[in-house]
Amino acid sequence: MSRAEIAAASTEGAQRAPAFDTARRFDPLLIVGTLIVATVCLLAVWGPVIGPYDPTLTTASVAVPPPSPSEVPGLLIAQFSGQLEMPPHWMGTDANGYDVFSRVIAAPRADLTIALLATALSAILGVGLGLLAGYFRNIATELLMRVSDVMQSFPVFISAMVLVALAGRSTTNIVIALAFVYTPIFVRLTRAEVLSQRSRGFVESARALGTSELTIAIRHVLPNSLTPALIQLSVTVGFAILLTAGLSFVGAGVRPPTPEWGLMISTGANQIILGEWWPSVFPGIAISLTVFGFAALGNVVERRHDA
Amino acid sequence: MLLRYVLKRLGVGALQLAGLTVAVFFLIRWLPADPVSRLVSMNASDEAYAQAAAQLGLDRPLLTQLAVYLGFRPDLEPGILQGSLGVSWVTGSAITQDILQFLPVTLELITISFVIAFLVSIPLGMLGALNPGGRADKGVFFYGLFAGSQPEFWWGLLFVFLFFFKLGWAPAPLGSLSPMSMAPVPVTGFITVDTLIAGQPRLFVEALHHLMLPVITLVFVLSGPIVKMVRQNMLRALQSDFVLYANCLGLPRRRVARYALRAAMGPSLTLIGILYGFMLSGAVLVENVFSLGGIGQYAVRSVLSFDYPAIQGVVLVITAISLLVYLLLDLVHAAIDPRISHR
Repeated sequence: MSRAEIAAASTEGAQRAPAFDTARRFDPLLIVGTLIVATVCLLAVWGPVIGPYDPTLTTASVAVPPPSPSEVPGLLIAQFSGQLEMPPHWMGTDANGYDVFSRVIAAPRADLTIALLATALSAILGVGLGLLAGYFRNIATELLMRVSDVMQSFPVFISAMVLVALAGRSTTNIVIALAFVYTPIFVRLTRAEVLSQRSRGFVESARALGTSELTIAIRHVLPNSLTPALIQLSVTVGFAILLTAGLSFVGAGVRPPTPEWGLMISTGANQIILGEWWPSVFPGIAISLTVFGFAALGNVVERRHDA
Repeated sequence: MLLRYVLKRLGVGALQLAGLTVAVFFLIRWLPADPVSRLVSMNASDEAYAQAAAQLGLDRPLLTQLAVYLGFRPDLEPGILQGSLGVSWVTGSAITQDILQFLPVTLELITISFVIAFLVSIPLGMLGALNPGGRADKGVFFYGLFAGSQPEFWWGLLFVFLFFFKLGWAPAPLGSLSPMSMAPVPVTGFITVDTLIAGQPRLFVEALHHLMLPVITLVFVLSGPIVKMVRQNMLRALQSDFVLYANCLGLPRRRVARYALRAAMGPSLTLIGILYGFMLSGAVLVENVFSLGGIGQYAVRSVLSFDYPAIQGVVLVITAISLLVYLLLDLVHAAIDPRISHR
């Protein structure tokens, strides 16, 4: 079971519960969510190049704390008037001498790429298999559902960890592992919707016209059964980011020195009981906001669909 | 009737576990990791390598290895049918013993967290549902959404920084007792219970003190989905006919809310089962932050050292427990909701 499934289960039957009537009015969640997601997407593209330091190279200054809030205006003026030899470390440096700020803004490239690819892969696989399992009811698809059940009863975090650690800690393997744990959700959501669509009038009309079963499934049933999977997408991206970060945190994720939020938090974790909070706190804020942004957008999509 | 239902569920569960065991067995052997080279030194001779492999039983054909693991070849080594999950390749200790030692820590941590998360979330969810659209409702809704999407390991670290380093209210995140204290004789494995059995109230308080931050962290992330769920199920229950009827009779608001809560709890139980199963492996990160030495930390250690029998054992045990919890909750659900019948 995964967080994404919990999110799905905890809102099951939400259709009949009245949400706030925000369908047409100003919706703060939509705005906040869009802003956060857009920022993260932009950083995924330009983050690694716009930082003041190279995110994968250490600097000579080790464990420098960030400037105190009162110093920030002065430093900003100094930087933009070109009085500084070296740009300041806005978020300090960690125990290895990496500039935290440059790495925080470079990390979306790894985190978002992994999360988006894994979500896309599991959605495509899951929707395809769900369509098959729901439309064609035979021994093969029954077997498919049993396999999907077994896959779903794997403990999510541990199976992702096993897959990545044993297959090798590469980005590709992380994407595959995440897709593996998220596919069953999409299978189940799509299959349930297909089951409710397959006996509708338009299917029978198409059949009466002599359309082949495969064409009916792909051309007519599929487009009508996509909604639950599409609603699930945004939330899954958020949770995939959490899982990616969690994997790096225990040492089964991307390899250092790749800038990645979970890895940064884990580097700083040993220093935090000594009071060096900045190497882990800043990347944590970034994850916290990003995942919240995706969850908020997912929630808006869900409510607008129900309204 | 009930007995037949329970037996049927246990049977299906056992089949599912058997399928899972075989799947995990082949999956981890199919992945391109080389556990033997982890154990022998980097430039070991081919003979030494082959000898190490033979010691682990890796020279046998794959199907024989599976048969041994499942316990169909007790002449070679005891397997699952004989109640043994094998021997760790790294430490050489029996996996069954290891798991019995580490599992209670995790069960204790998440059970306490669940109880507290519930006590916190039900009033919050009700507060939101009873004032739909109001300011309180919006606050509760926002809290649920936020808490449900947070990196728990980071919050754990943040709490360590605040409550240990800054304020000094919490002990260092270095285990379930302070390093100076003698752990009580393990009877149940649950440290809070064991300290009481040993008659050491001071240690009991100390254990609670060490559990404080990990529990707060888990309560925070757990309360997100629970608040959301209680709020939604309450809203639905409040719209149903029996609530309308109760309101028409002029029953007090509190009493109607109590009726609605009971109706809302039924569907919520399913989610608790899912959450509990999720937390069994989800607590990995929090255990690591606080070095509690639970099953999650054991899993991380085994995975990173390619200890195949240990990995298989952990996955099997965690899945078995989740299936049991699902079954128990379905039974409770039937007990509080007379509309559900077991076929």
